[in-house]
Parts: sequence; structure tokens; C-alpha cells
Amino acid sequence: MSRLLSHTRIAALSLIAVPWFASPPAFAEQAESRILILNSYNYTFPAATAAATGARDRLQQRSPRKIEVDAEYLDMVRFPDPGHERLMADFLRDRYAQRQPNIVLVIGADSLPFVVKHRDSFAPGVPVVFLGVGKESLERIQRPPDVTGHRFDLELNLTETLALAERLQPNARKLFAIAGSGRLDRRWQAIARDVISRRERKFETTYLFDLTYDALAAEVARIPSDAIVLCLSVFRDANGQDFIPAEIANKLAALSPAPFYTPYIDQIGRGLLGGFSETFAAMGGAGADIALEILSGKDPATVPPRPNPRAWYQVDHRAMQRWKLNEANLPPDTVILNKPPSLWEEHRDLVLAALLAFALQTAFVVALLIQRRRRQRAERLLKESEERMTFTAASVNVGLWQLDRTTNALWATEHCRALLGLSKDVALSRDTILEAIHPEDREAAASAIRSIIKTGDATAQDLRFVRPDGEVRWMRVRVRSHSGDGDAPDQLNGIFVDITEQKAIEAEAAVQRQEVTHLMRVSVLGELSGAIAHEINQPLTAILSNAQTALYLLEKDSPDLVEVREALKDIVDEDNRAGEVIQRLRRLLKKGEKSFETIDMNTLVASTILLLNSEMIARRVSVKTELADSLPTIFGDPVQLQQILLNLLMNAMDAMAATPAAERVITILTRSAHIGTVEALVRDRGTGIRAEDQRRLFEPFYTTKDRGLGLGLTICSTILQAHGGRLSLTNDPAGGAVAVLTLPAQEMLIAAQ
Amino acid sequence: MTKENATVFIVDDDAGVLKALTRLVSANGYRTQSFTSPREFLAHHDGELPGCAVFDVSMPELDGLALQEALSTPGTQRPVIFITGKGDVPTSVRAMKAGAVDFLTKPVSDKDLLSAIARAIEQDDEDRRNRADLASIETRLATLTPREREVLGHVVAGRLNKQIAGDLGTVEKTVKVHRGRMMEKMGVRTVADLVRIAEKAGVPRLPQR
Repeated sequence: MSRLLSHTRIAALSLIAVPWFASPPAFAEQAESRILILNSYNYTFPAATAAATGARDRLQQRSPRKIEVDAEYLDMVRFPDPGHERLMADFLRDRYAQRQPNIVLVIGADSLPFVVKHRDSFAPGVPVVFLGVGKESLERIQRPPDVTGHRFDLELNLTETLALAERLQPNARKLFAIAGSGRLDRRWQAIARDVISRRERKFETTYLFDLTYDALAAEVARIPSDAIVLCLSVFRDANGQDFIPAEIANKLAALSPAPFYTPYIDQIGRGLLGGFSETFAAMGGAGADIALEILSGKDPATVPPRPNPRAWYQVDHRAMQRWKLNEANLPPDTVILNKPPSLWEEHRDLVLAALLAFALQTAFVVALLIQRRRRQRAERLLKESEERMTFTAASVNVGLWQLDRTTNALWATEHCRALLGLSKDVALSRDTILEAIHPEDREAAASAIRSIIKTGDATAQDLRFVRPDGEVRWMRVRVRSHSGDGDAPDQLNGIFVDITEQKAIEAEAAVQRQEVTHLMRVSVLGELSGAIAHEINQPLTAILSNAQTALYLLEKDSPDLVEVREALKDIVDEDNRAGEVIQRLRRLLKKGEKSFETIDMNTLVASTILLLNSEMIARRVSVKTELADSLPTIFGDPVQLQQILLNLLMNAMDAMAATPAAERVITILTRSAHIGTVEALVRDRGTGIRAEDQRRLFEPFYTTKDRGLGLGLTICSTILQAHGGRLSLTNDPAGGAVAVLTLPAQEMLIAAQ
Repeated sequence: MTKENATVFIVDDDAGVLKALTRLVSANGYRTQSFTSPREFLAHHDGELPGCAVFDVSMPELDGLALQEALSTPGTQRPVIFITGKGDVPTSVRAMKAGAVDFLTKPVSDKDLLSAIARAIEQDDEDRRNRADLASIETRLATLTPREREVLGHVVAGRLNKQIAGDLGTVEKTVKVHRGRMMEKMGVRTVADLVRIAEKAGVPRLPQR
């Protein structure tokens, strides 16, 4: 096709060139090579037929051209007479005068002199290729240069055959050589004598040559079993009877107590033991190869006769068994015939198939096993992972669950059951859990779930659960919706955390915080006890003096009743005053819930100053107030707020301990600096706040005082935060510190609600 | 000295207490002057008036002890009674050392207060008389010549005229003359009288030889 294409291309370039280039290859492809095979034997000789077939097959396989084969059996071996020769020559001339072969292929040495002699009559100038011609035969003819072919190396074959025998029968002393009386038989006789005499190993040799068949058979039967028998060829016996050597060799071998060797391995298989040679088919192939070289254009004169390089040892297994020979002694690469095939050999395909099936099955099983192991491993890991998760969850008192909303199927860890106090026989289901929720919390739970489903956000809700025994437990329920297809969430994942203890602790902490706040108040009052006693003592003093004066006056003859009345009036006033002090104290000492009320910051400041009056005097501290005229009210717990003021004032006094008495002034200022806020400033002239303390002022148990708990400001800050306010402490540029207490105005709180 | 002549100065920053105390004291026949502010008291205080003072210990600006101190300058001396809400020991010790008549704790009973006032007035009376005596002695001492003053020292020391003459490097007769004039100027007849007033005036005695 490519050639056609290229021609077409060339044709397109040059029209003239077309006929010239296009025809010869087409002719060459069409041409055929004609081969004329001339066989020296007749078709009854298996060797001859095998060689012819081998040659023909090789030619047809290898030739680029079509091969046409003509074959004639000249039977020159049996009829070596001149009459037969003439007859054959005429026959060939008549037959092939108009049918010229390209090569004449001659099988066997006996026809070669005839072909050389008569070639010109039936195939003038046609190259001749022979095969199976021994060295001696070649030497005996005048070989024209265009006559060449395969040289049959009888000596080599015999030498190697004997070598094989020596290997198999290392102890054999006796050697028998058998050959008939035919032309080739005689050649073998000579070769045998020559080869045997040249062997290194010396044998007691008996030449069974030129005997009648019967005599030969009798001789053979008498051969000792430890001898070596070389059966060369018996084409004809002493009586002139013709034989097919292969047949006679096997017959004789059957009679022989000793192993029979042959230089023709084609004969092996029916009684003969073994030998070394090429096969006749290979011989044919070797001749055909030479013929092909010449057909491809090689000058036959440049191709000298050559042997077939391919020859081999061959033995018959059954014969080996018969003569009890050891296969181990065989040369390497020996071909063993008739060896009962091993199971493997006999049923190779079946075994292969079985093996393959077995292998496949094994592989499959292994794969399955691996897969199973992997799955088991994965399952184990999964199980372990789940166990770890469950264990971890249970350890931290967390129950895990998952609810499929479409089926309402619930998966939950066993710990959920424990958390809810459910016994083993109660199935964990959506309903059991819902029923366990405290009736008051069910609505909250439902709305939380609705919100999750709507927004998809994870939420946490603290819910009370009622255990079957009536115990109420707090659970923090965290729920997350897990969307199957990104649309409607179809799964709810959640956890239960038992926070009952936490809740209890929180409640306890609140109580304790309240307790601490109270204690701090009490502690402040304790610090102030002297001053407070003084506060009460003052009215008591006044009362006592007034009362005694009144009594004294009344003892007089003319008592000054006006004065007595004044005294009594003052007693009442002073008593009220004492009562107020006690009232204030009682409020501060009172322990209990916060009670929020409307408060005027100025009033609070004033009453606090009153409470501290004596203390301030005792500490030589004076207080100045700058109270805003119209201050918004605040909403809070007056006691707690007063506690803050008390604390700030006490701190201010403490801060001024080292300040000269004349400078010990506390300024209290109230204002509404920003809309919606009320501020109270407490400014002292003390040491101020050290930079290193500034950061830690509100830290619990951090104190700069020799005898302080370090809780004052912490509590102040906590109280203010609960009031939505804050406390800041800064240094006053003029010296000392300023505490600013900021609270939202009540109207802001109202507005916010 | 009678109650009517004595004035009780009462200072207490607590108006109620001040009023009550003042009422009590004046009902018992004393003149009273009362002040809620120590500074006001100091501004109006007349040291010439006989009587005593009743001070509250803890007061703003100036406390009772500071007031007591302020009254220690000549011409302002006056016995002080302290009344206090807190009877703390260090304060009372300080007050008593500084010469307080009494240190009373509130609420103070009329008996305690009035007896303390009575004692204080008595002491004031005595103090005033002592101060008057001392003043006359000092006036007399001032009339002595240096030589007479010298002789006084020796006489008070108990030395004989002869010894004094030896010490002063003069004759006994001269010493006698100085001594007679000195005794006359001092208004004493006996050596014992002389020694008494000399001690009162704090005249240094010569060391015994």
C-alpha cells in the first residue's frame, strides 16, 4: 500500500517514468520458484521421506516467493546399474525440458554423481543443492562449483554416539559394531573401524559386518548384556537382501541383551537406545536453507558444502529402562523419547488451569482474608474509637446521643441512661428522654429544638431532668443539627452533661459571694467599731447629761421648767439620733438578698459620711463634699452601694495615714458627667497608687495594707458590676488618688427595659 | 472662790453633747462658755477668768490634747478635764501627764463631771494664788542688789555670816548689813521663811561645801 502510494506520488511528478518503475516488482511477486527434488531412495525409506518433507516445509516457510516442488524418487540406492541411470536420465529430460526448475535438490549421496553427469540434459545451468551426502562421497565426485549443499558428517555422528554410549555404560568393556553389506553400509564399516580405533577408551570390539540377517540376529542375541552395540546401517545383508535400516535396527535391538546405539536418531523410539545425529527432517531443512540462499541470488560457487550445525543426543526412555541405564549419566540437553510424561507434562494445561484456578482462588481468599482483616481492624479501630469516645464521654460525665428525625430512632451511649437514672430494662428512646425532662423545662427544650432546626446553629440549654426516683438533675444539653442533604436537617446530635454539681456550686458560690460581701461589710464595721460606738455614745452622753440636769433642776424648790422641757426635748432628739445610727448599722450588718430601690447618691454620700464621722475625726481626716444639685436617681441596693462608699472612704483615710494632719482631706464629689450616668468621686491626698499596684487593684486577696484581706475592691467591683456600673481608680495629678464610681441612672435602666 | 466666780469652758464638736453638758454645768451654778470648734474657743478664751475647761478629746481640726497644749502658755493656763468617747489608755496617759485634772469617758455622769469641775476650779484657784505669790516674790527678788542676791544664795544654803564673809572676801559685819537689807526687802523675818520663798521662786541653792 505504501509502495503504491509512493508510486502514485512519483507518477504525479513524472508520467514518463511510470511504466518503467511500476512493472518489475509486480512481476517478481508473481514469479514462483520451482524446486526439483531428486531422491536417491524410494518413498519406502522413512529417512528419505522425512528429509524431503523437512526440505519442502522449510522452503515453503522461508521463501519470499511461491515455491513449486517437483519430486522424483530415483531409487539409485537399490538400482545402481547403468540401465536404470539411463532410464532416469531420459525420464528427467523428457519431463523437465519444458519445466525448468530453479534449483535441483538432491537427497542422498547415490544420486549426486548421476545428477552431476546428466544435469545438462534435464536442467542445464540449474544450481544443484544436495543434502545427506557424506564427506567420502563428496570426495569421490567431480563437483562443479554450482553444486553445493549439506554435508552429512557420519564420523562426527558416530563419534558422538560412541561418546554417549561410553557415558551411559562407563564399565562396558565390549563393543559390537553392526553394519550390512550395502554401499552406505560399507562406508559405515570403514568409518566405524576408524572412529573406534581413534577412541581413547579401548574396547574389545566385535565387528558384526557382512553377515546374513539370520547370522546377524544370532550374533546379536549372544551379545553380553554389559556390552555396547553400535548399529550403523544395514541396507543389504550378505545374501544381498535389501532392508530398511531403521526397521532392521529396531528388530535387532529387540533381540539384544545389550543396549543398541545408532548414529541416526530418527530410528530411535522402537527399541534402539539412543545416539547422536541430526534428524532427517533437520537435514532436509539444512539443505533447503542453502537452496534459499541461492534462490535469493547468492552465487552457489561461494557456498561450500557444510554440515548441519544442529545435531543432538537422543535416547529412548523405555530402552533406558529396559537396559537399566541411568539417566543421570546423559549429556546435558539430551532429548529423551517415550518418557512417560509426568503429571505436569501429561496434564500440563489441566494442571496449569488447576494451578491458575488454585492461585486465583488463593489470591482471592488471601484478598478476602486481607480485606476481612482490614475490615476487622477497621471495625476494631472503630470499636476502640467508639469505646474510647464513650469512655471519655462517660468519664467526664457526658452522655452522647443522636436522633434521626425522620425515623425518630435514637442512638445513645449507655451513660445517658446512667445520667437519667434509667434502669437497664427501660429502652432509651426519644420519648423516654422527653418524658424525663422536668415539666417546667419542657417548653424551653421544645423551643430550643425548634430554633436549632430553623437556624441550624448549635445551642446549649440547661434543663432539669427528673429521675425515676424523683431526684432532679441539671443537664447542659448541647444540640447540633446534622443535615443529610444540606436542606432540612434530618439528624440531631447532642450531648448531655450533668451540671447538677456545677449548678450547686454556682448557687453556693452566689451564697458565698453574698456571705463574703456581708462579711466584708461586717469587717469594715468592725474596723469602725470604735467610731460607731462613739456615734452612739455621743447621743447617749447628751441624753444622760440632759436627764441628770433635768433631775437636778426638778429637785430645786422652784424648778426652771422651761429648762427642764428643753432638756427633755433634747433627750428625745438625741435618742432619735442614736436610733438612726443603730438603724444604719443594722442595715449594714443585715445579711440577705439584695433589695433594689431608688437611691439618691447625695443622700447616700451624706449618710456614709455620718457613719464615718467619728472615725474621720479620730484619724484627723476632714471631708469636703461637692454634691451636684440635681442628680438623677439610681436604682440599686443602698446597703451594698454604701458599702462601696465606706470602702472607698476607708481606703482614702488609710492612704493618708502618713499625710500631715492638716492636709488629710477627702473630697467627695457627685456629678452626672454623662447623660444617663451618676458618678461619685472620692479624692484623697494620700500616697496615690503605685504603678505596680495599678494592674492588680481588683485582684482578690491583693492588698497594699499591712492588715487587709485584699477583698475590698474586689467586692466593690463585683457589686458595681451587678449594678451595671463600674469602678476606676486613678492617681490625681494634684496628688493622691481618685476613685470614680459610675452607675447608670435609673431612667436609663427603665429606658433599657 | 465661789462657783459663781468660776467659768467652765466647754468644747465639743458635737452640738448635742455640748448643749447637754453646758446645760448640766450651768444648772449647777457655774458660769459656762461653750464652743463647738476648738479654734473658736482659742479665739475667745480669756485666761484671766478663773475656772476650768472641759474638752472633748476627739474633735476635727484640733483635738483636746492639742487644745491642752495650747493652754500651757503663760496667761492661758487653766485646769483641763477631758471627756472622751473612747477611753483609750495612751491618750489618757498623755493627757494626765500633761496635767489633766481628769479623763472621763462618755457618757459621763453628772457626779463625776461636777466633782472633777470642782477639783479643777479649786486647783485653778490654787494655781492662780501660787502664780500670784511667785509674782510678788519675783518682784521682791528684783529689788535686790547683786551682792544681796549673792548673800541670799549663801543664806539659803545654810552658811554662817562668817563663812559667807570668807567666801565673798569681805568682813562679817558687811555681810550682816547685806543680810539685814535682803531679809527686809524680801519681807521675811526668819531664814526658814526665806528658804521657802526662795525655793518657790526657784532660786538656785549654792552647793554645800
